[in-house]
Amino acid sequence: MHRKLAHNWSVQSRRDFFSKAGSGLAGMALSAMVAEGAKPNSDPLAPKKGHMVPKAKNVIWLFMEGGPSHIDLFDPKPKLNELDGQKMPASFGKIITAMGTGSNTLMASPRKWKQHGQAGTWVSDWYPEIAKHVDDMAVVRSCWANGLNHVGSVCQMNTGDILAGRPSLGAWVTYGLGSANKNLPTFVVLLDDREVVGGPKNWSSGFLAATYQGTQFRQGETPILNLGRPKDVTTERQLNQLSFLKKLNEGFGADKAEDTDLEARIRSFELAYEMQSAGAEAVDLRQETAATKALYGMDEESTRQFGQNCLQARRLVERGVRFVELYCGSGSGWDAHSNIEGNHGKWCRVSDKPIAGLLTDLKQRGLLEDTLVVWGGEFGRTPFNEKGNGRDHNPWGFTMWFAGGGVKGGQTVGTTDELGFRAVEDPFHVHDIHAAILQGLGLDHLQLTYQHNGRAERPTIVGGSDALAKKLFG
Amino acid sequence: MLLRAWILLLVGGMSIFLLAETAKKDFTPMQKKWWAFQPLQRSGTPTSIDALVQGKLKDKGIVANGSADRVTLLRRASLVLTGLPPTPEETQAFLTDGSANAFEKQVDRLLASPHYGERWARHWLDLARYADSEGFKSDETRPNVWRYRDYVIRSFNSDKPYDRFVKEQIAGDELYPGNADALVATGFNRHFPDESNAANIMQRRQELLNDVTDTTGSVFLGMTYGCARCHDHKFDPILHKDYYRLQSFFANTRIEDHAVLQSSAERQGWQAAYDAWDAKTSGIRGEMAALTEAPAKKILADKLQKFPEEIQEVVAMAPEKRNAFQWQMYMKVKPQVTVNEKDAAAKLKSAEAKRYAELAASLKEFEGMKPAEQPVAQAMVDHGAEAPKTFLLKGGNHDNPQEEIAPGFLSILDPTEAKIPTVAGAATTGRRSVLANWLADAKNPLSTRVIVNRVWHYHFGTGIAGTPSDLGLMGERPTNLPLLDHLTAQFVDGGWSLKKLHKTIMMSAVWQQSSEFSESAAKVDPENKYLWRFPRRRLEGEVIRDSMLATSGRLNAALYGPSVFPPLPAGVETRGGWKKNESRENADRRSIYVFVRRNTRYPMFEAFDMPDTHESCARRNNTVSPAQSLELMNSAMVNDWSRSFAERLQNDQGVSRDGLFDKAWKLAYNRTPRADERTAAADFLAAQTKITGDEKTAFVDLCHMLLSSNEFLYLN
Repeated sequence: MHRKLAHNWSVQSRRDFFSKAGSGLAGMALSAMVAEGAKPNSDPLAPKKGHMVPKAKNVIWLFMEGGPSHIDLFDPKPKLNELDGQKMPASFGKIITAMGTGSNTLMASPRKWKQHGQAGTWVSDWYPEIAKHVDDMAVVRSCWANGLNHVGSVCQMNTGDILAGRPSLGAWVTYGLGSANKNLPTFVVLLDDREVVGGPKNWSSGFLAATYQGTQFRQGETPILNLGRPKDVTTERQLNQLSFLKKLNEGFGADKAEDTDLEARIRSFELAYEMQSAGAEAVDLRQETAATKALYGMDEESTRQFGQNCLQARRLVERGVRFVELYCGSGSGWDAHSNIEGNHGKWCRVSDKPIAGLLTDLKQRGLLEDTLVVWGGEFGRTPFNEKGNGRDHNPWGFTMWFAGGGVKGGQTVGTTDELGFRAVEDPFHVHDIHAAILQGLGLDHLQLTYQHNGRAERPTIVGGSDALAKKLFG
Repeated sequence: MLLRAWILLLVGGMSIFLLAETAKKDFTPMQKKWWAFQPLQRSGTPTSIDALVQGKLKDKGIVANGSADRVTLLRRASLVLTGLPPTPEETQAFLTDGSANAFEKQVDRLLASPHYGERWARHWLDLARYADSEGFKSDETRPNVWRYRDYVIRSFNSDKPYDRFVKEQIAGDELYPGNADALVATGFNRHFPDESNAANIMQRRQELLNDVTDTTGSVFLGMTYGCARCHDHKFDPILHKDYYRLQSFFANTRIEDHAVLQSSAERQGWQAAYDAWDAKTSGIRGEMAALTEAPAKKILADKLQKFPEEIQEVVAMAPEKRNAFQWQMYMKVKPQVTVNEKDAAAKLKSAEAKRYAELAASLKEFEGMKPAEQPVAQAMVDHGAEAPKTFLLKGGNHDNPQEEIAPGFLSILDPTEAKIPTVAGAATTGRRSVLANWLADAKNPLSTRVIVNRVWHYHFGTGIAGTPSDLGLMGERPTNLPLLDHLTAQFVDGGWSLKKLHKTIMMSAVWQQSSEFSESAAKVDPENKYLWRFPRRRLEGEVIRDSMLATSGRLNAALYGPSVFPPLPAGVETRGGWKKNESRENADRRSIYVFVRRNTRYPMFEAFDMPDTHESCARRNNTVSPAQSLELMNSAMVNDWSRSFAERLQNDQGVSRDGLFDKAWKLAYNRTPRADERTAAADFLAAQTKITGDEKTAFVDLCHMLLSSNEFLYLN
């Protein structure tokens, strides 16, 4: 049972607060302080306007962790099949890879390829359901990144840098736009398997305030740490406690009305209280019909877990969560150094129907136009083999796709070389990808800055351009 | 290089801290005149904190607050110096002390408390990016880095002069050979996050050097060296080459995770015992090694395969053939290409496997003879006397070297190359000693001001210069430079004593003034830049936890030792592990001893803004968030401590309810409740007893809210 707080205490509005603080000079000084942000704690999550008209309100990032093979999914390479068993041509130069496979022989893709939709976008037989949505998708075949290994590359795809410590893109978005639902976190992360390599660094707020960091939703009824009351504590008991706490705090704050920090802390207990029910409600899938659950593949064992996360992602954006990142194969699931057939066969099955279901559901509810869906891993995979039947990491050229949120569907953007090793035409670095996502949300990656250690830091560090955004949004 | 320098003063053996005249194109007039590079301005006449702050306030027409009341003052002093609230007994003693120097006695008592070192070590660990684990993917435990944490606590407790403290951390191994503390101290530059399975060894080495350069530059010099990694600093006079001049001091460093901490006598004893065991078992072990030789070779070949040819060659080549750079590569790759005999033994076929097992069993019989593991530190040392070359790196890329760079300081202060004495037969390059002496030189205008400004920052929440690790042009300018210079001069002249500096600060009227709001002062100085009041602020997560433990009577005040693992909330997973079933005694120890897993900070500390341990942190964020409130409301620990707090109160028999309130308020707030609070508490107890059906539980809830209240959570 959830009871509203309203009649137990009155949440003070800012106007109440200022009238309490007194008019006259002090009041004026206070308004100035708040206006100039002298007390940045006052409300760091207040909704903010971006730098330009947004195309999308939310992002759902489908992160295929471990590195899906672009040349077996979206980027067919007839030449690769032709040269099967031969070494990389010398023209490619010296190659250092994570596992030292650069001089191994090329390995053909055994996939069956077909063009789909009105646009005739190529998708392999590993993704039959997603293939039905190509006319809503922009497939970008020319992505590239810097890291050789998982931890650095996952970190870069999230934060822009292969070394941990910078804010995640979701944190930058939260910093730039504030919150659209005070009772839920603005940036949520969902895992389906093990811990993501590098762990919470990937949704960290880095040097930004902790307020902006991603919140990992855990499985079960209490998705947020400490969201559930201790077993023996009823709502009534907790409410009475909190109203006593409020009295204590008001007593302490009686002669400290100017201290917005104390005021904010009183409010944060109210928010926490509300969050207990809002958080539980957001993940309560009992409210969904059997047909909806089936759409996401929740009626089958292999797709249940990821389907559930996709459905939760929809529920979260519906409730104003701006940035949802869901990992498929968290803990390097897609990392097919050997037996790519078995590995990718499994993860494609796991992700195909839930993702297609998500796109269908978002569209039928009118949410797709406001929601930018991003698909990709931290890198792709090499055209040469590893251990005979696997592929090594390939950060030099790989595919990501984008749908909804103002994206012009039915396009295929950029190319890799004839073996799918390096991006050659319209190469887009991770920073360009970040810049494009930010632009979709109405944020200019050059203007979104934060002063840290003597530098105006921005999400794209010293790189990024609007080239990809232009392709995606026209 | 076009740089032309005119050194104006040359005194044998003395360092020179005069602004060097260099070619105009190198530095702008503004850079040359920048306050932080000028020598300390010593006031001709005696002055004080109060005189200097009052002078500033007077200029602005601001009237400062009067002194805070005694309870507030003692609470403040205790929390600032030890991170623990005063006990009711300590409060009582102070309140009834009528002597003129009553507060001074309290400051002396707190500075002498061993908890002082624990509190201030936490600040230093923030700067040192200290963690008990590696970071990156596997986040393995660093089993002996806690000795560095203890070293910092001990150093602060013994009031080790700060110049010595700096020297030990930069070059303890070189400057104080045979000194165990100094060896542990070099761990400062070993606290970088590291990747145990890095494939690109050259790039990894460069990244580690960058970390060490950035950290040294910001912690000791308050300069954002990192901005000059790819190009000249855009604002500060830090040239691109200055970055590599600083880096060059560290060019020959490597990790030493088995730095033995024994006196020579202890070492001899240990060695004798080991040799005895060795003599008895060498035959058995020799046969075991011979049995596993073939599979070990195969495993090694597999491990080597992922590395580029030049690295494989370095591993294969005869040690005496390796040059300094190749040694760097070798030492870095070695842990990845070391074959564990057990892994090789697992590959043995039946007969050999059986023989190996027999041998292992007979080896075990000698286990009792084997001496216990030696105590070791995880340190940073030079690998020999010859350093590999350092190059200026274009764009900061390790594979784009330009001209060779020799060790040197900031060109604006001294454009010449650092003079590294060559000592015949030396085991190290001697480079870091030269850097350490420069950093600890009383005439260094940066490093001296930096530490004094940091201490001020931790007392007042904001430094005299507001960005303690950036005294450059993009940092905040000092609000009162004469004050900073006065304190710094006094600090270095008086023997670099941090305890003396604390006392000077705390005995000032500025420190002792109340935190009350003043309309007229706020009108002129709304941000309290000029300190017309003591700045109120939320305590750090570690202090909140320690205060809760102390208030609930649960605190285990034991000092030092390996890190502890209080239980994690359900659902928190850590790669790298977290010891299960930690004893309650250990779980209740102070926060500074809680294991720091780099990729998963302890959740309560993380919620309350413990910094990311991936880079040095000079100024913590101070946020208000619902996650903190959820922690206070619902976490198993806070609820548990509340029960202990309530039990502690109710242990006394026959105390009236008012008496219980008195005791609770004294423990939580160091004062008795006001009349309105008594009424509110009585009303709450009555209502809560109805809800829970049990007054004892209601009392737990009351204690819980005292621990969650602003008066408890804030430094006032």
